[in-house]
Amino acid sequence: MTGLLIALTIGLPWIGAVAVWAVGDYRARLQHRLAVGFAVSAAVTALLLLTATTDAVELRLVVGGIFGDFTFVPDGLAVLLTVIAAVIGGLAVIFSMDYMRGEAGLGRYYALVLLFIGAMAGLVLASNLLLMFLFWEMTALCSYALISFYNDDPKAVAGGVKALIMTQIGGLGLLIGVLAARASLGSYDISALLEGAHTLAPETLALIAFGFLVAAAAKSAQVPFQTWLPGAMEAPTPVSALIHAATMVNAGVYLLIRFYPAFEGVPGWTTAVMLVGLVSALLAALLAVVAKDLKRALAYSTVSQLGYMVYAVGVGGVFAAQFHLFSHAVFKALLFLGAGAVIHAAGTRDMWKMGGLGKEMPFTRNTFVIGALALMGLPILNGFWSKELILEAGLHAGPNWAFAGMVFGAGLTALYTFRMVWLVFFGPRRSEKHVHDAGQAMRFALGVLAVGTLTTWLLVGSVGACLSCSVPAGEEAAHAAPALGEMVSEVLAAPATWLALAVIVFGLFLGWQREPLSKLVDRLGLREPYIAAAERDFGFAWINRQVVRAVQSMAERLRAVQTGQLNWNALGIVGALVVVLIVLLAGRG
Amino acid sequence: MSFSLVEIGVVGVVGLLAIGLYGLLAVRNLIKVIVALQILVKGALVALVLAGHASGQMNLGQSLAMTAIVADTVVAAVALALAVQVRRRMNTLDVQALSKLKG
Repeated sequence: MTGLLIALTIGLPWIGAVAVWAVGDYRARLQHRLAVGFAVSAAVTALLLLTATTDAVELRLVVGGIFGDFTFVPDGLAVLLTVIAAVIGGLAVIFSMDYMRGEAGLGRYYALVLLFIGAMAGLVLASNLLLMFLFWEMTALCSYALISFYNDDPKAVAGGVKALIMTQIGGLGLLIGVLAARASLGSYDISALLEGAHTLAPETLALIAFGFLVAAAAKSAQVPFQTWLPGAMEAPTPVSALIHAATMVNAGVYLLIRFYPAFEGVPGWTTAVMLVGLVSALLAALLAVVAKDLKRALAYSTVSQLGYMVYAVGVGGVFAAQFHLFSHAVFKALLFLGAGAVIHAAGTRDMWKMGGLGKEMPFTRNTFVIGALALMGLPILNGFWSKELILEAGLHAGPNWAFAGMVFGAGLTALYTFRMVWLVFFGPRRSEKHVHDAGQAMRFALGVLAVGTLTTWLLVGSVGACLSCSVPAGEEAAHAAPALGEMVSEVLAAPATWLALAVIVFGLFLGWQREPLSKLVDRLGLREPYIAAAERDFGFAWINRQVVRAVQSMAERLRAVQTGQLNWNALGIVGALVVVLIVLLAGRG
Repeated sequence: MSFSLVEIGVVGVVGLLAIGLYGLLAVRNLIKVIVALQILVKGALVALVLAGHASGQMNLGQSLAMTAIVADTVVAAVALALAVQVRRRMNTLDVQALSKLKG
C-alpha cells in the first residue's frame, strides 16, 4: 500500500506531464485543468504518505547487477520533503492558472513543472545513491529548461545555461562521492553508507564527504556557487517560488542532513559546512540590501536563509535545520507568489518603479507582509521559531564569532525585508500604471500559504515525531526535537532569542530610518564602492563567469568532433568497438 | 585437408563484416552505404546462427537471428526512404556533400 503511494506520488505528476503535453497548446483551458488535477492529486498522495512513514524499504524495483535494486524508503525526512514539494507544487500550479493565462507554450511549462515535482519526490524518497543521483540531475534539467522558458529572451537563456553549468559542478561532486561509496562499500544503498561509514578509510570518507558538500553547495546556491540563483530569476515567478525557493534548492540541505551522521567525524567537514553557511548567509544578505529587482532581492534572501540551514547543520543543529527548511519553504513560497502577483499587476520587477501598491492590492499586501514578518524572524510566525532554534544551536555548539555573524545576518534580514516591503507596497506611487489585485486562483494559493506561515510552527511536535522514524539521521534529530510547549518555553527562555530579537528590531529601526542612514553612507563615501562591489557579487560573479566561459569554450572545441561526415562517424563507431574489445580482452587476461 | 562447418562459417562471417565495414568507411553514395550496412548486418546474422550451433543452443541463436532480421528490415526501409528524401531535397546522394549535421 505504501509502495503504491510512493509510486503514485512520483508517477502521477509524470503522467500529468505527458498528458498536458499531449493535449496540445490550442486547448489551454484543458491544460490548466489537467495540470491542476494531477498536481493536486499528487499532493494528496504525498499527504497520505505522512500516515505511513517507516524506515523500511516499501518499494523495490528489481534491477540487480552493478546497479543494485532501486529502492524507496518513505522515512520521516523524505516524506516531509515530499509533502513540501508536492503541496507547494500544487499551489504553484494553481497560482499559474492566473499567472500564465494566455501565455504561449503552456504545454511545455506545465509538463516541466510536473516533471519536476515527480523528480523532487523521487530524489528524497530514493534510498539508492545512483537513483538519487539520477533524480538529482533530472531536477537540474527541469530547472534549466524552466529558467530559459522565455527562450527568445537572451537573458533567460544565459541564466539557464549558467544555472545548468554551476549545478553540474555539484552533480560531478555528487557522482564522485557516489562512485567512491560504491567502490568501497560494494553497494549503492544509502543505509549501507550511513552504517558503514566508520569502516571506510579516512581518505575515502573525506572524499565522499567533501564531494557531497560541493554538490550541496552548488544545488543550494551557497558560496562559491551562489550566483546562479539570482540569474535563475528570469524564470516565470511560480517556478521561482516552487523550484528556486521552496524545493530544489533544499535538496543540498537535504543531502547534508541525510548524511550528517556519516560525515560528522570527518576532520574539518563540520567546520567547512558551518563556514559555507555563514559566508553565504552574510554575503547574500549584504547583496539583498541594495538589490533593485524584487525577485533578485528575494533570491538573495533565499541564499541567505539556506545559509542559515547549512550553518545549523555545521554546528550540529540538524533538527533546527530541518525545521527551518520546513518554515522557509512555506513563507518563501508565499513571498515569491506574492511577488508574482505584484509583478503580474505592475508589469515590472524593478522595485523603484513600484511603490504605494498596497492600496490597490490589499490582499496581496497583507499576505506578503505576513511572509515578510516570518522572513525577518518576528514572533509568533513560523520563521521566528525555527530561526531562533538555529541561533540557539549555534550559541551552544558553534564558535561565538560565527554566532555573532549569524545574529548580524538576522539584523540585515530585517533591514532588507523592511526596505523591500516599503518600496513595493508603501510610500509614494512611482508609476502611473493602473494595477488590479490578484485573481481568484492566485488568492487561493496566497491564502493557504499565509495561513501556513501563521500556523506551521504549531506542528513542531508532529514534525519531530515524523522525523524520528528516519534512517540514523533522524534518531539524533528526534532527541533534539522538542514538543510544542517545550520549544516555546525553551526559545523564550534562551538569551540567544532576546539578543537576536534586539538585533532584528534594530535592523527594522535602520530600515525605518533609511534616509538618514543613506546620507551617512554617502558622507562616508561608501555608497559607490559598495554598489560597485555588489554588482560584481563581491568578486564571485567573476569566478562563476570564468567557469561558464571555460565550459563553453571547451564545448566549442569539441564541436570539431562533429564532422557531419557519415564515413568519419562510422569510423568512430568501429574505433570505439575495437577499444571495447581490447578492454574486454585485457580484462579477461 | 578438411574444414569444419564452424571454421567455414567464421571465414564467411569475417569476410561479410570486412566487406560491410569497408563499404561503410569508404563508399560515398548513400545507397551504397545502406547496401554496405546490410552486408555488415548479414555477417552478424550468420555469426548469431553459428554461435548458436557452436554452443549447442541452436534455437536461441536462430530466434535471435530472426529478431535481428525483423529489426534490420525496418532499418533498411527507413534508411532507403530517408535516402529518397535526401535525393529530393539536396539533389545529391554524396555523403561527403551532406554536412548539414556538422556541429
